[in-house]
Parts: sequence; structure tokens; C-alpha cells
Amino acid sequence: MAQDAPGAVGARLSPKIDEAGLIRAVQRGDQDAFEQLVRAYDQSVLRLAVNLLRSQEDARDVFQEAFLRVYRSIDSFRFDCSFHTWLYRIVTNICLDHLRKRKVRKEEPAVVDTPEGPLDRMNDFEEEAAHADPERNLWNLQLGRRIEGALAGLTPRERMVFELRHYQGLRLRNIGEILGTSEEAAKNCLFRATQKMRTELGDCQ
Amino acid sequence: MNCESVVKLIPLYFYGELPPEEEEQVEQHLDGCASCTRQAELQRDVAAALDRRVVEPSATLLAECRHDLMRAVYRGEAPAVLPARATPWTHFRNGFAVLFPSPLRWRTPVGAMALVALGFFSARFTQSGAPGPLSAASMAPENVISSVRSVQAGPPGAASGEVQIVLDETRRRVVSGQFDDRNIQRLMLAAAHDENNPGVRVESVDILKSHSDSAEVRSLLLNRVAQDPNPGVRLKALDGLQRFTADPEVRKVLAQVLLHDENPGVRIQAVDALTSHTDDNMVGVLQNVVQKEDNGYVRRRCEKALKDMNASIGTF
Repeated sequence: MAQDAPGAVGARLSPKIDEAGLIRAVQRGDQDAFEQLVRAYDQSVLRLAVNLLRSQEDARDVFQEAFLRVYRSIDSFRFDCSFHTWLYRIVTNICLDHLRKRKVRKEEPAVVDTPEGPLDRMNDFEEEAAHADPERNLWNLQLGRRIEGALAGLTPRERMVFELRHYQGLRLRNIGEILGTSEEAAKNCLFRATQKMRTELGDCQ
Repeated sequence: MNCESVVKLIPLYFYGELPPEEEEQVEQHLDGCASCTRQAELQRDVAAALDRRVVEPSATLLAECRHDLMRAVYRGEAPAVLPARATPWTHFRNGFAVLFPSPLRWRTPVGAMALVALGFFSARFTQSGAPGPLSAASMAPENVISSVRSVQAGPPGAASGEVQIVLDETRRRVVSGQFDDRNIQRLMLAAAHDENNPGVRVESVDILKSHSDSAEVRSLLLNRVAQDPNPGVRLKALDGLQRFTADPEVRKVLAQVLLHDENPGVRIQAVDALTSHTDDNMVGVLQNVVQKEDNGYVRRRCEKALKDMNASIGTF
């Protein structure tokens, strides 16, 4: 039953482009090389931020802050791990900060009540076409609240491990490396997250 | 292995994170335990519900993020690395930055202004005989998105110090209508093939799948299932073909998907669709899958279908 994510994560560099060469060029101050490096990874970074934070504005912040941090600190990148892992350490740290702040504020539920009825804040991601699909809208209204509620019940760390494994398709060993923990700890985190999700969403289908 | 330990391993089993020997033990237990099998199915159902929540960032959002980032970089908001050697392009970037000393958090409106300003810049550099303020008409309208394709210092025959900048401009236009409008259909079918934007393909196929009575749409769905590089698109297209799983042409494509698709989620949906009908022609395919499939669920569905048809599981 092994499951990999719908959108595999990985660099979109052409095989002809040498990533290490690009990184060294950025370390020498080559902004065009930086732009190429960004383009190799930015879709997966944005996808992670959008799906994790469910807010376009927060996702923009994460995108900007993460890649600026990369740019500022790339001199300290010593090739002792993959660039992907190094980048994702930065991205996940920023995302975790966002999630923790939300936990403290206990705000910004994805589905909010309005005088016109429940409103899914994620609708700002939907194309106009979605409104022409009643089945999808119905699903959003009926299940959106429960799914977001279930995800909100996870700790920021559980939420991150779940996101990286389920949606981004990363292996637990790699997730442990990114989050600065062991594969075993990542496994435990995934187990706790899935247990909570199964309890909350067991009868969704 | 008892039920308690198997239940704990089900998430890792589902995500393919168990070592082979442990996976084998879990599978053996599941084969004989209805309660744990229900737990495994629950895991799959919850995962399927969560899959429907995936959002693909739009191409516009990505373009705006890239634009904001590179503007910040060019403006020198990330000065830790050594400065690059000054070139005409860096002078242009610096000049551009001077005109936009906005704080980092200026968002979409600024992005739009910057794009308009890029149109303004291009006008300044290309309309040599038009001094004085430019009219609004000569500036890029708001629904035009510009990006720089190339920059050349001192193009042949140009005056000293002149630079040539090539801009790609995309015009945005809103088209709306009913699906039975032929033009709308054509646009939708074209959007479903937009190789640069998986988000648009997902949305298009999501709409098209409810029109799968049309042979043209069905043909498109078959094409997307077999060829789209994005598994989200392939899953939507598979959804649209659910009502046609008895159609031999559809089954042929589904068999290929089951044999060759790299995404286990897609293969799971394909095997569910294929095995919903008893079809002796599929015996060879199912036997092949049993031999090579590493996904436990897919393998077991194939084995069950073969048993139901009284066919042998192996090819011998």
C-alpha cells in the first residue's frame, strides 16, 4: 500500500545543469545563477508553504524569507548535505514558526463562519471554474471544516512531518535529516499524526 | 505479529516505510485478519480524503513570488554574498531598484505596478523619438504581464551606451461561458494540455471529467491518464473515466496505467477501476502486476481478482 505524494518533490534542474556549479556561482555573487537555482526548487517550496499554511499571504512570506535566507547564507553551505535538505531545513523552520505563532494566537481557521454561511478561506486559491462545480463546492463545505479541524489538532511538528510525508512524498529518513531529528522520531511523529487523522476523519468517505 | 502491533505499523506500511520483512509480516497478518484489514482500508480512505485537499499554487502566484524575490535580491536586500562584477544589466537592475524602494512586504499591487513600470521602461528604451511624459496608452496595461527574455549591451549599430532589452509580454483576458459553447470547449481542451501549468490542467480536467459523455472529452481524459506528468491530473482524469470502465478502449489504457504508472495512488485507482468488472482478457495483465508490483494494496487487489476468475496468480 506504499504511497508516494501526488506531487513529487525534487529539483527541476535540467540534467545538463550542474547544481554544485550553480551553488558555487551563487557563492561568488552571481545573481543569475541564484535565479536558476531558485527556479529549480521554488515550485515545490511554494507548494509546501501553500498546503501547509493554507494562506497565500503566508506562503508568499515563507517563499520570500526562505530564499532570501538561502541567498544571504549560501556562503555557509559546505556541501555536507544535499542542497535540497539544506533548503528544506530553512523552509521548514520558517513554516514551523508560522504554525507555532498560529497555535499561540489560536486563529485563522481555514473555514470561518460568516453571516452568509461557512466560508472556506482557501477559496482564494480556487479558480472561478470551481464555483461551477457543485460537487466540489459541496465537498469543500462538508468536509473542509473537518479536515482542517483534524489538521489543526496536530502539533506543528506532527503537521510538518505529515505534510512532508503525505503531500511532498519525502522519505522519513530525509524528513528526520531536514528536521534535525532521527528517522525513528519522525516515524513516531507520523504515527501520532495519522492516528489523530484517522480518529477525526474515519467516516469521511 | 498481533493486532496491536500491526495497527501501529499500518501508517508506516501505507507509506512504504517498513523494511521488507516487516512489510511481509504485516501483509500476512492482514490476509487473515478482517479487523486489521478494516484499519488498513480506513488509513487509505482517510488518505484519499486528504488528497482531495491538495492545492496547486497558481502560475500567477509563483510568478509574483519570483518577481518579489528577485526584486529584493537585485535591490540589495540580501547583501551577504560578494557583489557580482558590475555589468550593464546590474546597472539596469540598480536603476530599477532605485525607482522601487518599497518595503519587502509590498505585495500584489506593487508587483502589478512593477510590471507596468517594466512596460514603461521598455517604452523609454525603445521609443527614442518620443521625449516627454508618456501617455497612459503607451504604458503597459494592467492585464499585461512582462518578463525580460534577454538583455544586450551595445547591440550592433546602436549608439554607445545603448542597451537592448527583449520583453516577453502575456496579455490576460477573461473568457466565460457555458460548457456547451464550442469555443469554451476548445479552450478547456487546450487548457487541459497546458504543459507549463499543472494547476490549470488539474482544474480543467476536474471540470471536463463531468462531461465525459462526450467522446472528445473521453478521448482527452484517456490521453491525460496515460500521458500527463502530474499525478493530480491523472487522478482527476481517472475519476472522469469511472463510468466507462467496461469500455474495452478505456480498459486497455487503464491496464497500461496499472502496469507502468509510477505513482501508487494512480495505480490504486486504476486497479480499483479495472477489477470492478470481471474480464478474462485482463488475466495476463493482473498476473504481470502481481509479479512486479511493490504496492501491497494493488498486489492484493489483483490477486483477489485472479482468484475470483479462478486464474492462477503466477505466470509460471
